[in-house]
This record gives sequence, structure tokens and C-alpha cells, in this order.
Amino acid sequence: GGALRALCGAGRGLAAGPETHFGFQTVTEAERREKIYQVFESVAKKYDVMNDSMTLGIHRVWKDILMHKMNPSPGTILLDVAGGTGDIAFRFINYVRSARERQLQRKLKNHQNLSWQEISESYQEDKFKLLGDSQVVVCDINKEMLKVGKQKAQHLGYSEGLSWVLGNAEELPFDDDKFDVYTIAFGIRNVTRIDLALEEAYRVLKPGGRFLCLEFSHVSNPLLSRLYDLYSFQVIPVLGEVIAGDWKSYQYLVESIRRFPPQEELKAMIEDAGFLKVDYQNLNSGIVAIHSGFKL
Amino acid sequence: KMAAAVAGNLRRAGWRLWRGRAVVRCQLYSPQRALQASAVLRRVSDEQKEPLASSSQQQFDSHPTDHQPEQKPPGPRPSYTGQGGQESEDYESEEQLQHRILTAALEFVPEHGWTAEAIAEGAKTLGLSVAAAGMFHSDGSELILHFVSQCNTKLSELLEQEQKLVQLGKAEKKSTDQFLRDAVEARLRMLIPYIEKWPQALSILLLPHNIPSSLNLLTSMIDDIWQYAGDQSTDFNWYTRRAVLTGIYNTTELVMMQDSSPDFEDTWRFLENRVADAMNMSDTANQVQSTGEAVVQGLMGAAVTVSNAETSRAVR
Repeated sequence: GGALRALCGAGRGLAAGPETHFGFQTVTEAERREKIYQVFESVAKKYDVMNDSMTLGIHRVWKDILMHKMNPSPGTILLDVAGGTGDIAFRFINYVRSARERQLQRKLKNHQNLSWQEISESYQEDKFKLLGDSQVVVCDINKEMLKVGKQKAQHLGYSEGLSWVLGNAEELPFDDDKFDVYTIAFGIRNVTRIDLALEEAYRVLKPGGRFLCLEFSHVSNPLLSRLYDLYSFQVIPVLGEVIAGDWKSYQYLVESIRRFPPQEELKAMIEDAGFLKVDYQNLNSGIVAIHSGFKL
Repeated sequence: KMAAAVAGNLRRAGWRLWRGRAVVRCQLYSPQRALQASAVLRRVSDEQKEPLASSSQQQFDSHPTDHQPEQKPPGPRPSYTGQGGQESEDYESEEQLQHRILTAALEFVPEHGWTAEAIAEGAKTLGLSVAAAGMFHSDGSELILHFVSQCNTKLSELLEQEQKLVQLGKAEKKSTDQFLRDAVEARLRMLIPYIEKWPQALSILLLPHNIPSSLNLLTSMIDDIWQYAGDQSTDFNWYTRRAVLTGIYNTTELVMMQDSSPDFEDTWRFLENRVADAMNMSDTANQVQSTGEAVVQGLMGAAVTVSNAETSRAVR
């Protein structure tokens, strides 16, 4: 099924296929995929720096909130799609590590009447499972982004429970019912066929699994909206030129945010893919929103 | 369809109890996140229905219209056992699935406490991912409220059965004080398997966002007991009855937290004395004073004593 779709997609592209958007331009689907690939290829090395400067570091808070909302227990298997430079993956590992520590502490507290020998033995066997069987798979379509991510992981010392896979969100290289949680942070905006990505997300999640999407969304407050527009269109591309030497990519970024469906529309799309208990949480009055759904 | 719309509203309220009367009170049990209703009903109609699924679907639709205070407990609940993990997608509604998960989670409470971890373990036993625990509030409120409402339902069923026996002449009608003592004891005994972690649960129930729900559950349980007591002998008015029994129940519960006597003898003796005191208040002046005292006892003292109970249990 997937291979056929890809063939059709390529075929359509050659025949000036279905029209879609790239920022405020109108392009074919194939052109869009190509252009987006190039955008991220060019920004990969400066991706994190740009995130910090554009959002004044607030993107870190947004990602922390996402992790807190996920509240993963040890043993959770996470698929982070469009995970590029690994921000979500690293946070997941940290969270699960401390949850695991607390779990071990509680177990020890309950075993107050064991001998010292028994306690040290039980600690030893758990010691090798620092993450308690939790795992995170980072999947991204862009080789450059993955490269940056792997380097970061090495630099920061993350190795256990982490793997990097090259793959397309519209057609994931994984079997059905594999993951507990699927996240896509600031990535779904760049997917050309969002409906396909959502269907894939549904497919690879286990029953009871959770879909979480962190993405720029629509600000309803008119005053804030004007300030936000001003900042987006006047400041961000300039920052892009100055810091990353790439005006056009950041112009694309800002435009793509405007083109992205608002909260309710995305919620409906997620429901269409089959998810239940779909809901969203606005952060900073809608500048960013976290959508959540369950495969039930 | 009317039934679907009403059912949708109820689900949005969040907490469905199986009894008609409680449906009215349900409106207060609002979860933090809004539940979306229509996709589920649509989904169910798409799926192939098992005979079990369709019968409980009918039960589901008929409840919203049932508002009588006196109501028989529902018929045998559809059995969810015997199905593998794959069958979890054939559930009838999100709420019923949530109830199943919470019931399964109770088994893990003695080990993990009233936490999201217990819920995650519960979900695992049903063949669902641990991430399903994300459907619930991370402080474990829903688990506790689910347990309390389950206990209340069990108590009502018990009292109903006893009443039937009396009506059929197979048992003697108990005096009011004996009835109250037995009912409160039966209800409190349901806490015994979870008594280690119960102080934690009480403190969570006292959190501001849980108070409407927990208070509701408490008062409907108290009303239930008085109803079945069929009391003709005392001169109490309705408010006094409620306040007095609430005071008795709450204080006995707190005593039970700190009781280390074999089979909680001290607690039952305490209960006996409190009920006897209540029965002795027969004139109006006493009633007014006692109502006030009982309310104060029941609500304010609880917060302080719970934290003491928690510390003493932790020490032990």
C-alpha cells in the first residue's frame, strides 16, 4: 500500500500533481517535499541556535510542558517523529530516568525488613535498567538533522535507550502496534500530507497508545495576534539572515505557521484518523498548542 | 438523536454512575479536559456488535431518562473477561473503558498508591499501553473517586438486599441505631484492603478541585443509608439526619486510620458510642446544637486529623 502511494505521488509530481502550498507560494506536492527538505538541510546546523533566538528560549519551556503532560512511566516506548536534533528524546530520557529513580527508592522503602545483603542484591539487578526498559526512537526524514542530533547525543552523553531512524512521517518504516507514545514537535507543519502522517501515527501506536503533537497554532487574542505577526514577519527572517545566513528558510517558517490549520481543525483531522479523547491545550494564548489523542 | 445527545452531555460531565439518581448529581464531576462525545458513538455503530456489546449499549441509552430516587440496582453487568488484548477496541464507550481501567488499577493501589502509575499498571493488565494512563489526571483523583463510587454502589446493593429480606419476612427489622452501625461498619470495611494508602486518598479528595465530587458522593451515600433505615422513631429533620450521620461517618473513618486494634475493634466501639449519642438527642435545642457540631466535626476537623493520620501511619 505504502509503496504504491509513493509511486503515485511521484507520478503525480511529474504530471504537475495536486497543488499545495509552500509558505505563501503555491507548488505541487513533490516540489513542496523537495523544498522543505532543502530548508532543513540548510538550517540543520543552526537549528537549535535559531530556535533559542526566535522564541527567546521559550521553546524549551514548551517542550518541557509537553514532557510533563506525557508523564511517561518507566517502560514506555516513545517514537519521536521529525525529532531531528533530539530535543524531545533527551527530555524523555531525563524524565524517565528520574521517574525510575523514584520508583526504586519507593521499592526500597517498602522493603524495610530485608537484610542488607538482599537490599544490595535487588539494587544491583535494577541498576542495569536505569531507564527501566524505556526506549525512544527518533525518526526524521532529513539526514542532516539526524546527523546534528546524533552529534548532540554523543556530546551530551545520551546513548542508552536511544536510536535514530531515517524515515518519512507519511510512511513510517515500523510495524503496527509498536509504540506507547508518538510525538511530533514542530514537525507536522512541514509534512505535506498531514492526514497520511496521522494515519501512520495511528497504525504504529499500540492500543491505548497516545498521540501528542506540539505545534504552532492560531492566536485568537487580536492584540497579541498583531504583535505576534509583527514579530514574525519583521524580526524572524532578519534573525535568520543574520544568524544562519538564510532569509528565505525563515520566511518559509513564518509563512508555514500562518498556513497551518488552527486548533479545532487539527483536532478534527486527528479524530478522522481514528483517535479518541482528542483534546488540545493552548500555550501562550495559542502561539503554540499541544494536541493529544488516544488509540482506543 | 435525543438519547445520543443526552448521553453525550453526560459523558461531557465525566462521571457516570449506574444509578439514575446519581445521574443528576453527575454534572459536578467535570474532568479537567473536555470529553468529545460523538466520535465514539459513531465508531460503535461502525463496528460489528457482539451480543454483549449491544445489550450494554441499550443499558447505556436508557439510563439518562431514569431519574427515580428508588431504583433497583442494574442487572448483571456485561462481562468483559475472557477477551484478549485485541478486543479492547470493541468497547462500548470511552467512559466504560475508563471505568474498566480504573477498576483494574485498584489491584495495584496497595503497591503504588493512588497514582498514575497504578492506573498505568491497570491499563497494562487490560492489554493497553501504559500511555493510556494519560487519559486521567496525574494526581490519581479519578481513581479514588471511582473507588468511592464503587463502594457506595456496593453498599446500596447490600442495603437493598437486606431490605428485601425484611420485606419477605426472612429477617427482623433492625432498630435505627443498630442499622446505622451496621451500615457504616459495612461501608468502612470496604476500605480495609487499601487502608495503608487511604490517608493519601483522603487528602487528595480534600483538594479544592475534587471537593464538589467527593462531597457529592459522600452525601448521596449518607442519604442512601437513611433511606434504607426507614427511620420512624427519632424526631430528626432531614438536615439534621444528614449532618449527624456525616459527622459520625467521617469521624469514624478518621479513627479507623489510626486504629491498630485487631479487626479494628476500637473503631467499631467508637462508632457504637457515636451512634448512641446521636440517638439520645431527641429535643430540638439539642438537635440544632448537634447539627452545628456535627458539621464542624465532619468537615473542619478532617483536614487536621488526616495529616496526623498520615504521619502516624507512615511511622508505623
